[in-house]
Amino acid sequence: MKYAFFQGCNIPIRIQQYATSTTAVLAKFGIELEVVPTFNCCGYPARNVDEKAYILPSVRNLAIAEKRGQDILVICNCCFASLQKAKNVMSKNAQLMEELNSILAKEDLHYSGKAEVKHYLTVLYQEVGTEKIKAQRVNAFTDLNIAVIQGCHVLRPREITHFDDSFVPRITEELIGTTGVKSLDWQGKLECCGAALAGINNDLSHRLLREKITGAQAAGAEYITPICSYCHLQFDTTQQNIRNGAAGEKLLPVLLFPQLLGLCLGIDEKALGIASNSTIATEDINRIKSLLGPPTEEKKKKKAKVAA
Amino acid sequence: MTLNILFGFSAVVCLIGLIIRLSIWFSQGMSPPAAPAAPVGTRMTEALKAVVGSFFSAKIFLIIKSVFVDLLFQKRIFDKSVLRWIAHTLIFSGFILLLLMHALHSVVTEPLFKDYQSTLNPYLFLRNLFGLMVILGVVIAIFRRITLKPQRLKTYASDWTALIFLLVIILSGMLLEGSKMASQSTFQRMVEDVSLSDEEEVKALEAFWVQENGLAPTNFQTAPPAEIVAKGKEINGDYCMDCHASNKAAFASFTLAKISPIFFAVFGDALTVKLLWYLHILACLAFLAWLPFSKMFHILAAPVSLLIKGVTGDQIREPANILTRQMIGLSACTHCGSCSLECSSNMFFETFQNDFILPSEKVQYLKKIAAGKETDPAVLKQMQQGLYVCTSCDRCTTVCPSGINLKELFVSSRYTLLKEGMPETTMLSHFSFPLALAQNFVDDHLQALKKVTDIFIKSFQHLADTSSPITLGTSKGFGNTTFRGCFSCQRCTNICPVVRSYDDPVEALGMLPHQIMFSLGIGNTELAMGSQMIWSCSTCYLCQEHCPNQVELTDIFYSLKNSALKKVETGVHS
Ligand code: SF4
Ligand code: SF4
Ligand code: SF4
Ligand code: SF4
Repeated sequence: MKYAFFQGCNIPIRIQQYATSTTAVLAKFGIELEVVPTFNCCGYPARNVDEKAYILPSVRNLAIAEKRGQDILVICNCCFASLQKAKNVMSKNAQLMEELNSILAKEDLHYSGKAEVKHYLTVLYQEVGTEKIKAQRVNAFTDLNIAVIQGCHVLRPREITHFDDSFVPRITEELIGTTGVKSLDWQGKLECCGAALAGINNDLSHRLLREKITGAQAAGAEYITPICSYCHLQFDTTQQNIRNGAAGEKLLPVLLFPQLLGLCLGIDEKALGIASNSTIATEDINRIKSLLGPPTEEKKKKKAKVAA
Repeated sequence: MTLNILFGFSAVVCLIGLIIRLSIWFSQGMSPPAAPAAPVGTRMTEALKAVVGSFFSAKIFLIIKSVFVDLLFQKRIFDKSVLRWIAHTLIFSGFILLLLMHALHSVVTEPLFKDYQSTLNPYLFLRNLFGLMVILGVVIAIFRRITLKPQRLKTYASDWTALIFLLVIILSGMLLEGSKMASQSTFQRMVEDVSLSDEEEVKALEAFWVQENGLAPTNFQTAPPAEIVAKGKEINGDYCMDCHASNKAAFASFTLAKISPIFFAVFGDALTVKLLWYLHILACLAFLAWLPFSKMFHILAAPVSLLIKGVTGDQIREPANILTRQMIGLSACTHCGSCSLECSSNMFFETFQNDFILPSEKVQYLKKIAAGKETDPAVLKQMQQGLYVCTSCDRCTTVCPSGINLKELFVSSRYTLLKEGMPETTMLSHFSFPLALAQNFVDDHLQALKKVTDIFIKSFQHLADTSSPITLGTSKGFGNTTFRGCFSCQRCTNICPVVRSYDDPVEALGMLPHQIMFSLGIGNTELAMGSQMIWSCSTCYLCQEHCPNQVELTDIFYSLKNSALKKVETGVHS
């Protein structure tokens, strides 16, 4: 299976490791991601300013995928939501579709809605499946407590994103479960990291971020696993910006899900770009690796299956 | 004599132009209030220090590598578009080789190759080959400009001028050479030069030249008989071949020689040759004089810019050098449009209809702004918006074949323009997110943000200052009408993480989510647009997801923000 890989604007320049680790992990399951240089911004940054300016770029990106005869795979939640929103608006507003198509026609593009948009977690969950993932592991974690933050825009509004149950999401949880990591229950899991307010209302943005950091740490999290690229930047960059070197304040390091899973699949930590997370120190990496061991419990299951 | 005067004149103009352009490198720049510009003297000494420092350190290897990889091979263009690389390489190498071998033959080729004769091979052939390379390159460049127009590649008159200049120089040279081949007068002069006087022999030689060397058959009604041509060939061997190879080697000019008789019929052959000579020389001299004032200055500036990138990797610490680097960058822009083609914001251009969203167009105007020549507030406002409607994806900086650090340029320009005091409403968007991450000029950003917020406070009615009861509004047709379903259960407000963040949320936010729905319900959109809540909403969609009546609060907030910005913008303009 081959997807047009939509990386958005932040990932190629600021979070390359998210793209490389996802590509490496999906490759293990025969899913190929093709980088499409003509994709542009998803439109999200303009959403506060102008609805049409927000929709048009995503419609163009969808039209590009359509022309290539591919579906789109996304790793950023905000890109995902923008693309899904564009599809939704287009399906309800034929007049706008015609108007935007006339703009696209200049570049010989046309949107008709054929290309689908998939979050990489959906692909892992539905196309690969947790069983197959488990079967491919060479390692699993024990005693590793992490806090997942889902990111708002993948879950809500549910009738646009069609991702998971927005109140009790399971996909991410089950996928994380395959690595043996304990995903903690904590209050901020389904809440906002404050990214959408950065640069507009920094105080509030920082307040929301701090609340998540302390919340996750209070729940016993050693690491935070953000799904959305904006959340990632909040935890991996803004967290450091707002610490102001305050001594004693413990950093909450970031570990991305494909990095966790990649380690279990036996992918080299360098290929996963773990050290590129700026909140992670060498000791952290060593510690994580020391928690890796053969996926014992699962082997039992496998045997049981064979026996059955 | 006249030629010398003309040459002297264009050389002086060129020199003055170069001095002006170089002095701009050290005197202008975009410097935000937080990083004031250093005086010219400091900038020159710092630049000199940096250059000398690089030459006498391990960095010399970076310089050497950059010369081969970036300057000679043009790797940055190659990586992005092979077609463009072919076009550029054809023009670049063809032109440089012509310049060295042909235009500067007395200084370069003659001392190097003792037997140099412009009419001998390989020179006769190479001149045409190099010329053809330039023409091919220009044709590809024109093709690219035309076919990429729908992809938002902007082409100005100055871009066409550069291409046309090159075409005129090369074509006039080829036509000149061709007309000389065809011209009787030129032939007669050559006959005199070799002191061939026997009329029959001259006739035979002429027959051979008509047959083989492109001479116009003025004195032959029909094709000359074979035995005369054969005799001519012998004479050619005796008298001419030592310093004149077959004109067929100059394949392009030889082909063009065939059309020369058309001109000869009007002007006569001697005059045609003379006119074409003037055309060729004047085109070359005009090009020389025009060079420093045009984008062709990139011939000098782009290599410098690329070397700086190669050596520093865009990490320059010395503030004085940062400004100089900016100006070298601006002067190295060829307006090739590669940055705009790849700009991830280029679709916003389609809706905002603001040229300055495209990086290549920003660069063109930043030159003027840096020179203090652009003071029209409307243009500056457009530019400011263009600088903000940018996702900071850095693709422009990555692709620019001239190695310009557009990223730094745009960051500095953004905050330099804010100093003009014009509020930029686009700051209130997620375009500000990467800016907040990067933490550049934080105080300038906050001040500018305050200015925008103040405008909002002034522009709309507020709950806090309504001493009288809230009035019913008159606004009709507000797009999303789901607010009608609201029965004020306040669940939205109770679940909102932003409301929860404040001890006195009403004071901080103006209105709470359910109150905004209420004010829309009674038709008072103004009040809703004026509340701080819509700008403090983190767009987490929790309220919308939890509302028992499917009120699309977050989407409504987005619409309110859109309308409020539009309202303020029209107010600012009027
Ligand atoms: S900035 Fe660079 S890429 Fe953009 S037009 Fe100028 S030279 Fe080309
Ligand atoms: S950094 Fe801005 S101007 Fe440059 S390519 Fe990206 S969006 Fe365009
Ligand atoms: S939750 Fe819905 S119904 Fe309740 S106050 Fe908010 S908008 Fe109104
Ligand atoms: S979307 Fe905005 S208003 Fe609604 S709960 Fe989230 S922050 Fe509050």
